[in-house]
Amino acid sequence: MRASVLQENLAHGLSIVSRAVSPRSTLPVLANILVATDEGRLRLSATNLELGITCWIGAKIHEEGSTTVPARTFTDLVGTLSESHVDMALDVRTQTLNLRCGASNNDLKCIDSQEFPPISVEDLSDGLEINVADLKEMIHQVAFAASTDEARPILTGVLIKINNDKITMAAADGFRLSVRYAPLSSSASLPISAVIPARALSELARIVEDGDQTVTMTMPPGRGRVVFQLQNAELVSQLIEGSFPDYEQIIPHSYETRAVLSTSAFLKACKQAEIFAREGSRIARLKIEPGDELEPGTVEIQGQSEETGSSENVVDATIEGTKLLIAFNVGFLREVLDVINTPNVALETSADTSPGVIRPVEAEGEHGEFIHVIMPMHLGS
Amino acid sequence: MHRKILHLDLDAFFCAVEELKDPKLQGKPFAVGGRPETRGVVASCSYVARRYGIHSAMPMARAVKLCPDLIIISSRYRDYSKISKKVMDNVHDLTPLVEQISIDEAFLDCTDLPETGKYVASQLQTIIRERIGLPCSLGVATNKLIAKIANNFGKASSKYAGPPNAITVIPPGQEASFLSPMPVEALWGVGPKTAERLAELGITTIGTMANYPEADLVRILGKHGHDLSVRSKGIDERPIITTHEVKSISNETTFTSDLLDKQSILRTLRKLSENVGKRLRRANKCGRTIKIKLRWSDFSTITRQLTLDNPTDQDLSIIHAAENLFEQSWCEGKAVRLIGVGVSGFVPPIRQLTLWDELSGHENAKDNKLQNAIDNLRDRFGDKIVQRASDLS
Repeated sequence: MRASVLQENLAHGLSIVSRAVSPRSTLPVLANILVATDEGRLRLSATNLELGITCWIGAKIHEEGSTTVPARTFTDLVGTLSESHVDMALDVRTQTLNLRCGASNNDLKCIDSQEFPPISVEDLSDGLEINVADLKEMIHQVAFAASTDEARPILTGVLIKINNDKITMAAADGFRLSVRYAPLSSSASLPISAVIPARALSELARIVEDGDQTVTMTMPPGRGRVVFQLQNAELVSQLIEGSFPDYEQIIPHSYETRAVLSTSAFLKACKQAEIFAREGSRIARLKIEPGDELEPGTVEIQGQSEETGSSENVVDATIEGTKLLIAFNVGFLREVLDVINTPNVALETSADTSPGVIRPVEAEGEHGEFIHVIMPMHLGS
Repeated sequence: MHRKILHLDLDAFFCAVEELKDPKLQGKPFAVGGRPETRGVVASCSYVARRYGIHSAMPMARAVKLCPDLIIISSRYRDYSKISKKVMDNVHDLTPLVEQISIDEAFLDCTDLPETGKYVASQLQTIIRERIGLPCSLGVATNKLIAKIANNFGKASSKYAGPPNAITVIPPGQEASFLSPMPVEALWGVGPKTAERLAELGITTIGTMANYPEADLVRILGKHGHDLSVRSKGIDERPIITTHEVKSISNETTFTSDLLDKQSILRTLRKLSENVGKRLRRANKCGRTIKIKLRWSDFSTITRQLTLDNPTDQDLSIIHAAENLFEQSWCEGKAVRLIGVGVSGFVPPIRQLTLWDELSGHENAKDNKLQNAIDNLRDRFGDKIVQRASDLS
């Protein structure tokens, strides 16, 4: 294999795939990145067997071929190259990759690409096209609510449901639930329901580029995996087996108290409360107080701990219903408010032990829907 | 400005409650407490019984010797606490500044009330007599120390055969002269040992102690000497403490006869644990430290404790921990006289609620529900309505 690439392209490609590298695997080749010529481009791939990322970069191919290069050496080296033109040549017999750039001449010991897990080419013809901006936002609004506790694998995933021209993503860690709906530009031929590791989706959101308009999602039947295809990259992830809990029954259909307030003011108040509460119980106490003809309603957000002191913030709000005192994990509040894009947000709840529902307050006629449910912290046993 | 502190004491409270339930007991010598054959002690005795020389904390066996006709009634603690609560609710109607010091005793700070302390006292006495039907005595003074001693003094001076219904007022400025002729033992914190030391110095009355140089008392008795010197002058600045922080909840029992049988001991241990759990839940507290106390037949006593990862108020976790500690301390063939279980290390009972109880990884949620159901049943139908299978025998 002999090829010439631009340092910038190579560095960028490596940064995309290197997150799938598994440096401490018992299979040494998984710590490497596959480099292969592929129809006039250079293909870079990494996999940890659960998640695989591939990207293609422009290159001048002088001689076809492939090898696997130790990821850490490769990325560190490419990151320090100062000239833009990089020449690569593989000695197949010794599996040594010679890499030259300006005055820099390097030999990297590689592992034969035969040992790299085969990357089967899927038939992507009945893939589903999803708008990249929508997808990115959906992942952003849902994936953080997934659990990181490996004891319950199903909750470390994000449920993706596709029905006709509607896509739904949902994630829950047992204490909170994030659900986001979005329309699809094209209808799916068959309904789909699958649980994708939250980490894979976060990586997908990271690697989609400005140039990408759509992403094609394919779930080859019976393969237990999902493929996301972008213009110059591809992400393959194992699906999580098992059934996702019925989240719909958790979303309350009514409320006793509804507070509408400025998202940014609410977020800021939560951040301040968290500065104090993070040392202790991580609790933010919310005092929701309806207004009257003269005064607006308010939500008082309070955080405290024995060590650091206490913080109180009063945010004006439009309150419907009765007054209420409720406490939440302040980190949960901050994380959801961070992903709400509308200027105003609604908090709906029925009692201090009932779920709190957080929704963006959409402008009239807006579609797309986001619902977040947080279980309160109960003071008292 | 002088404070107006009242000390309220329900006269022979347990007995008064028993008389309320069974008026035939009136005028008869009776005592509430444990049976004489089971090492019981007198918790409270009627005024008639007192004439035989019976007093509370006396072994019941001795009481029966003093008065063979003594009627013994076993304690109905639940009834007493219920009525005590009613009394205290009435007290709270007068002022929020109430410090309850036991089931039948409380201090009140009435400084902010327009009426005189004496008037408030007689008002309270009337309320408790008319609304609840119980006699009580009150001491009125400028501080807690004098109010309590005044009350004790007033009750002891009663010439009636029945409940004293006393109200004793010590006007401001007369605290020291009121204490002066009293024996030093009347002061809180003077036990037999201290009294002996003081007697060696020629101090037998509070008045002599008040005149004794404080520095000398401190030299002889240490810091305690300072406290005593101040108190003997009738000075007591302690405020009424309305909230009382509980640091631990425990329960112990002495076996009627020393026990060798492990299963019986474990059964008691479980019962005590359940009792502690119930009180924790009532008090809305969760603790992390579980402690057991064992007294062997030779009176040597050990305590063993462990700390849980998560604070608990659940019977089952307390039982498991207590059994665990017991297994580590138990010696085959060694008879147990007393056993106790306690929980401390309280943290605020804050719980993150979960979306799906069964999925959350906190199986506790189910246990909590079960526990609540059991508590409800027991509250309505008594403790025996639900029992552990292991305790059925």
